Amino acid sequence: MTHAAPQGSPAAVPAAAEPRSIFARSRTLYREWMHRLVAPHGDQFFLVLAVLIGIFSGLAVVCFRVAIEWTHLLLLGSSLTPSPLRVLLVPSLCGIGIALLVIHAFPRARGSGVNQTKTAVYISNGYVPFETVIGKFITCALAIGSGQSLGPEDPSLQMGAGIASVMGRRLRLSQEKLRLIAPVGAAAGLAAAFNAPVSAVLFVIEEVIGTWSAGALGAIVLAAVSSVVTMRWFLGSESLFRVPPSELSHPAELLAYAVLGVVGGVFALLFLKWIAAARPRLQRLPPRAQYLMPAAAGLLVGAIGIWLPQVMGAGYPIIDQALHGEYVWRVLLILAVLKILATGFSFLSGTPGGMFAPTLFIGAMLGGAVGGVEHHFFPGLTSTVGTFALVGMGTFFAGFLRTPITSVFMVVEVSGNYSMIVPVMISTLIAYLISRQFQKVPLFDMLTRQDGVILPSIEERREHVSLVVEDAMRADAAIIFDPDEPAAAAAQRAGAAPESPLLLRPRLGEWRLLDREALQRLAAMDEPSAPRMVSEATSKGPLPLIFPDEPLDEVLRWAGDWPVLPVVSRADLGRLEGVLSLADVLHAFRKAAAE
Amino acid sequence: MKSRSTLTNRACAGYAREAVLASSLILLVLMFALTAFVTRQYHKRVHELGDQWFAKGDAELQGGGADAAIADYRNGLAFSPDNSVFQFHLAQALAASGHTGEAEGYLRSLLSASPGNGEINLTLARVAVRRSAMADALRYYHAAIYGVWEDDPIAQRWRVRRELCEYLLGRGAASQAEAEIIALANNTPKDQVAQIDTAANLLLRAQVWSRAEDEYRLALAGDRRDQDALAGAGAAAFQLGRYSEAIGFFTRLPQRGRSSGDISEMLATSRAVESGSPFLRGLSPADKAGRLRRALADSEARLSDCVQKSAGVAVPGQEPAGSDPQALLTEIRKAQGALKRASLARSLTLMDADMNLVFEAESAAARRCGPPSGAADRALVLIGREAGGDRGGASP
Repeated sequence: MTHAAPQGSPAAVPAAAEPRSIFARSRTLYREWMHRLVAPHGDQFFLVLAVLIGIFSGLAVVCFRVAIEWTHLLLLGSSLTPSPLRVLLVPSLCGIGIALLVIHAFPRARGSGVNQTKTAVYISNGYVPFETVIGKFITCALAIGSGQSLGPEDPSLQMGAGIASVMGRRLRLSQEKLRLIAPVGAAAGLAAAFNAPVSAVLFVIEEVIGTWSAGALGAIVLAAVSSVVTMRWFLGSESLFRVPPSELSHPAELLAYAVLGVVGGVFALLFLKWIAAARPRLQRLPPRAQYLMPAAAGLLVGAIGIWLPQVMGAGYPIIDQALHGEYVWRVLLILAVLKILATGFSFLSGTPGGMFAPTLFIGAMLGGAVGGVEHHFFPGLTSTVGTFALVGMGTFFAGFLRTPITSVFMVVEVSGNYSMIVPVMISTLIAYLISRQFQKVPLFDMLTRQDGVILPSIEERREHVSLVVEDAMRADAAIIFDPDEPAAAAAQRAGAAPESPLLLRPRLGEWRLLDREALQRLAAMDEPSAPRMVSEATSKGPLPLIFPDEPLDEVLRWAGDWPVLPVVSRADLGRLEGVLSLADVLHAFRKAAAE
Repeated sequence: MKSRSTLTNRACAGYAREAVLASSLILLVLMFALTAFVTRQYHKRVHELGDQWFAKGDAELQGGGADAAIADYRNGLAFSPDNSVFQFHLAQALAASGHTGEAEGYLRSLLSASPGNGEINLTLARVAVRRSAMADALRYYHAAIYGVWEDDPIAQRWRVRRELCEYLLGRGAASQAEAEIIALANNTPKDQVAQIDTAANLLLRAQVWSRAEDEYRLALAGDRRDQDALAGAGAAAFQLGRYSEAIGFFTRLPQRGRSSGDISEMLATSRAVESGSPFLRGLSPADKAGRLRRALADSEARLSDCVQKSAGVAVPGQEPAGSDPQALLTEIRKAQGALKRASLARSLTLMDADMNLVFEAESAAARRCGPPSGAADRALVLIGREAGGDRGGASP
């Protein structure tokens, strides 16, 4: 009972297709949907891709964490205190295997993973080869599982970036998108490893990409959330640490946290200085030594582990115990110092593995130790040793990795307690300032520079004061004319200041440049019976409007096209704040450079 | 032409992406399945290891190796950090090995999660007992008694209260113990002879004689041959001055039970009281007078013997007024003479005063030479006390 539509009419296709089959119609709908979804420049596609990357990264991190635990069980057994021989032999023998793998099979798997990802983003358009992901997975699982004092977060970050990079390449994304997609994967990997999506997003923005790019932010957040959801699906939603409830009962106790900030800052600085000094020397050793360095590090870590096995591996359960006040301050201090040594040995030897977990470990132990000492002298302190350990994590993190915003939010996210945000901010800021004062280059920038690559320092960029229009403009330099002003009077005013630019204000928000000679000619033609107005004079424009707070480098693109630009108030587009010429801009830049 | 070429390129790119996306989804499903398999195996293994260490810890703890058990429980907890059963057992092992502070930390943390848990409160009470914190111990014992128990709560609460009673008796807090023991007795099921015996024993130790005898009688109603109950009931009757009942209970004991130290002494004393007391009902006046004479003779013999033995030895404490042994001996002899001369009726009127004299003589002898060792002398003290002459110093 269908009515045949005329050939070629718009209704011909659906009318003909309808009786064919429901499958044909579904296929058409699917194709249309897919075309819309996979449109090469569509933001929708990028967001879908971010979710996919998040899920893949989450799965990879789950497998990675299980691999680390399983390796640990296989190599060191299930006892918390394995036999001394095992503790000594396992990390050193595995170190030889790791060295062979890193030198011969996966050379890009070396290091923590953060600076390598940053290098990939800035130098090779976000290109991270897939064998790096595989290599990182195997070598880090072996290293951390065998007891080297390293963590799984930074490798997870690099694995996430690698997965994202592979997907981006397979989907033939543009170079711009490929550069963006690696940080998206990095955030996903870190979020899953740390079970803290907010901290992961902040870290990637603060350390890897360095800017709050609106284009990347949505994708980064989506990827981080989807990876965390995936990870929790398999490993449960418990946070890494079971943080006991804590709160600040009296503002005077902030002083106690300030002391923690000083101690954390000094320790972070010492650790940084040690790495800065020792790494180049070890890199200069003959290539043959590279085979032995992870084994030597394993031996040293094992030697410490015989006495205090807590320093081996990532050490999350020990952080948990410190948060619950299960150690006295002397033990906490010893653990902090020995963990610095063990982590230094492992990291400097070139063993693949991250610095996140050891940093948190050292911070928690230091915080607990400082809290314990303060409790000894001031028994009235209401904050527990566990609370100090919690704040100490953020403090040392800020001092060592130099990501203050991540540090503050990480403590809040891990503890689920906003009441501690003020102590954390104070302690973190003090540690950060001490570390920055005496070690100008942050850790990851220092590592890339030691490797011969100079990347833009996010910290330098963050602290760089850019010049604005206000710094270069000349106030009261121009003469302003209204369109209904008599030309003769205008010419007289213009003649009084022969160097000043002449600006015509035809209507609100429009500014034009008056030609001085044309104004003179118009004034000469002026007659009492028929007075000539300024509006009749020749003018150029309308001129682009610029504002006093605009960055000077952004204004440069117009400065060459016009002799002068009007700087107007944002609140009143008819009010001139000053004028700006190319010469003014260049003068301001030269002056700033000289200062 | 240009726009057509662009369209073709876009279509190609789109199809390639479709293929990549489709293969990504397939890969995603495969990875999901693989991850699920791997994590399931891992969790299973972790669970097994936790249980293995826990079982090992239990075995060590039962074998008395608390320190080894602590290490095992800690290993178990590494695989299951939130397992409250593991934490509780670790706390028990810590308490057993003297790490009371750490044990208390674990227990308090567990208690905050389940404040009414009887078992945790009981362990905390034991920890408090170890560190001699009586107030804490009482608080936790009471919380355990009124707390929640999973298996057989009535029996568990009875057990805890019994432990509390033992603790209080051990600390010498008799008045606090008495209330708890009475509550224990009230909560003891009437068909549980062993538990009734236990409650009665505690009552006996707390010197609640009458209630103890009642409980023993209850136990005997359930089991007539219950030796503990017979001995306890005899002791309670003895303390209550019901010597014939005490003899009745003691003689129902088998020979071996009867000959044990305290029971044999109480039995002999009871028999001596029964054969020597002039106050017993149903005695003829001649029997009463005869018993009175024998009592005076025995007390005179004991006191004079004691005076001879202790000549020149300083008497501990101060002699009460009118308790000079020589004066007492003189009075006894006078009383013996008066008794010989007096008629039978007159003798009986002197009985109270004479028995009072007997008691004073025994008391003076006890102060000088220690408690009486013979059944007859112990009996005299008791008879004298019954006559109202208890002025301290003598105990049977």
